[in-house]
Amino acid sequence: MKDSNTAVMNMNVKPARKVRTDTALDRIKRHKLLYLMILPGVLYFIIFKYLPMGGLVIAFQDYQPFKGITGSPWVGMKHFVRLFTEPTFFMLLRNTLILFALNIVIFFPLPIILALMLNEVRHRLFKNWVQTIIYIPHFMSWVIIVSITYVFLTVDGGVLNELIAKLGGHKISFLTAPEWLRTVYIGQIIWKELGWSTIIYLSAITVVDTQLYEAAEMDGAGRFRKTWHVTLPAIRPVIITLLILKIGSTLDLGFEHMYLLLNSLNREVAEIFDTYIYTAGLKNGQLSFSTTVGLFKGLVGLVLVMASNRLAKKFGEDGVY
Amino acid sequence: MKPMVSKMAAFTLVCGLLLSACGGGGGKGETAQGSGGSAAAGDEKTSITWLNILHTASPPTDTVLNKIEEKTGADIKFSWIPDASKEERINTSLASDSLADIVTLTILDNSSVRNALKSGMFWEVESYLDEFPNLAKISQDTRRSASIDGKLYGVPFQKDLARNGVVIRKDWLDKLGLSVPKTTDELMNVAKAFTEQDPDGNGQKDTTGFMDRSDLIYGAFKTLGSYFGTPNNWQVTDDGKMIPEFETEGYVKTMDYMKALYEKGYINQDFAVTAKTDQQQKFAQGKAGIYVGALFDGKNLLNMAKGVQDNMQLALVNNITSTGNESDRAIWAANNGIGGLLSFPKSEVKDEAELKRVLKFVNDLMDDDVYALMTYGIKGVHYTVDANDAVTITNTDLWQQEVQPFASSRPSETGYKIHDADPLKAEADKLIKENANYGVLNPAYSLESETYTTQGSELQKIITDATYKYLLGKINLDEFKAEVENWKKSGGSKIIEEYEAAYKATQQK
Repeated sequence: MKDSNTAVMNMNVKPARKVRTDTALDRIKRHKLLYLMILPGVLYFIIFKYLPMGGLVIAFQDYQPFKGITGSPWVGMKHFVRLFTEPTFFMLLRNTLILFALNIVIFFPLPIILALMLNEVRHRLFKNWVQTIIYIPHFMSWVIIVSITYVFLTVDGGVLNELIAKLGGHKISFLTAPEWLRTVYIGQIIWKELGWSTIIYLSAITVVDTQLYEAAEMDGAGRFRKTWHVTLPAIRPVIITLLILKIGSTLDLGFEHMYLLLNSLNREVAEIFDTYIYTAGLKNGQLSFSTTVGLFKGLVGLVLVMASNRLAKKFGEDGVY
Repeated sequence: MKPMVSKMAAFTLVCGLLLSACGGGGGKGETAQGSGGSAAAGDEKTSITWLNILHTASPPTDTVLNKIEEKTGADIKFSWIPDASKEERINTSLASDSLADIVTLTILDNSSVRNALKSGMFWEVESYLDEFPNLAKISQDTRRSASIDGKLYGVPFQKDLARNGVVIRKDWLDKLGLSVPKTTDELMNVAKAFTEQDPDGNGQKDTTGFMDRSDLIYGAFKTLGSYFGTPNNWQVTDDGKMIPEFETEGYVKTMDYMKALYEKGYINQDFAVTAKTDQQQKFAQGKAGIYVGALFDGKNLLNMAKGVQDNMQLALVNNITSTGNESDRAIWAANNGIGGLLSFPKSEVKDEAELKRVLKFVNDLMDDDVYALMTYGIKGVHYTVDANDAVTITNTDLWQQEVQPFASSRPSETGYKIHDADPLKAEADKLIKENANYGVLNPAYSLESETYTTQGSELQKIITDATYKYLLGKINLDEFKAEVENWKKSGGSKIIEEYEAAYKATQQK
């Protein structure tokens, strides 16, 4: 009895022990190939994303390139103090956040609306044709788009201003007036990215179960009702995911785009973190200070993503992670 | 399974090693070749790498380069940096230590360039200059103004002291019965007439007086400023006080003048966002009649106008004042006549022997025939020359492609017998030479200020922005003065203090 008992005990213990020893390492050993397959990806992130982050320490130094990280003097929080005490900081934060908000509020819903409208187009050839046309601007570089706008908006013979003058209005200096900067900026983004952004929504719409539409039709729903009660709820997870991704990336307002629009007269509304980092760091050689600014911007972006992800989960959606 | 895995791992490893070996090997091979070349070939052919600034749209082809290599006995490899992106490219090159035997540094007041020079990254060359005949000729004045903290960290580019002036459509003046302006008021009247009296005779009010660009320094503003007696960046009072230019009466007068031009429509209304190429194109297209900039631009403008405005005639003016008194003539001197430095980083030029080799090369670049090559090209191909050493460019297109890019790399641009036969260019040369008598120097150019070095460019933005806003009538004089106070608070006062101390130190020496 005792023997069998201990035998049972042993038998019970043994598998338990086995379970306990089945650690991460064991699992890795068991699925070697799988882990080997992700190795290049992990290495990529370590080498090109995480190791360079070590360079962030120069935010706490007076970094001189020829002295290197080891030779440059440590200055503690000096650059952070400078960042938060300079009036420039609030200008940068305000400009960045306002443009960010405009981007979310004005630009974000547009592709959804356009995708829904395209979905209602029954003539296939026409639909394809429209889609191709609206994708094209996405492939133009900002330099080209800003140059085109320049030609349209300049006071010296710009098409739009000539039109305004012909109609008896006063010419508007769109390119230098601070009050027009945001309109021009958002307008250019809409022009360039609107079509391209519809792609994901369109593909999400195509997988909506057609039976739902039929059922809705039976209940007497018209086109608008069908869109509102069937299509939109069906693509809601996609919208939420894209919104979170957008919030994460929109703090990168597009350095190139803004840098091209920026000039002495609209700087108070046009200077954003990206352009400031570029001018202060690369042009004026204040590498440490601009690193500080960049680090701060990164933190703000991280907080925004985490907050929106949590918000999404609260509303019963999946979130991105 | 197992052997396969290890094979795969080994394969990955080997690949990685191979890749890194390739990278490292490539680098080593190059440097070995570089130093080996110089050692083995000795005096025959030395290899020179040169990080240089490109002022034209595309780098030169090899035709002229081969000739220069022949004359100097060097094997030259250029890395070209477009002028428009020189700040970030030079800064990143300095930061990553990817330099060349010769580095062209034109932005000596940029903080990281200054820091790099002061850190001892480059050879100090003053003691070597006298060993080479052409370099020995560099005047003490030039050497002093190109020095930082009394040390000369490279061979200075010798440029004309003051190159700016006013270029005016002579044919338009004649048509409207106006004479060449001598005062700023007359210039305003000409601008008015060009705007309102239809100088191109097409019946439309589609011309303006001035055609300017978004550049307060090399555009119209600073040159007009000289006419109003504005100092060149800084003014030193008799008791050793330093006054920044934007606190002087002349600066305000200049702003008012430009503001009037803008409000009355005598200047292109978008000058604050106009690029240099657009400015020149529009001038060449006959959209305006007054161009303020380098006097030798006159020839280029006329070239550009060929086939567009064939009746264009240009008058070059360098004697405008606001008072009409000859004694008030003044013109600011860009960087006090120093175009920058040809510097030699210690990381590339390892020892004295190599430094001398590179200096010898720079010296050879200043020879008469190399100067001719870099300025006009190859005789018979690009130009013809008469008995008086007057050169006529025969193939302008070819010259622009093959020769023009070298022009800004000439270590010296003055004191050569060979000259351009083109009357407009000759006129420009004459006026520029004349300008030297009236040149206004920047007294702070070779002074040191820690704050200026670290924050100067940043602070200047405050003033530049405020000036533009004033010109376009967005702020009034009180608000402008408030911005100047802001400049002082943000570090400007410190710059003034440091400059005053540095100035005092030089006076006591």
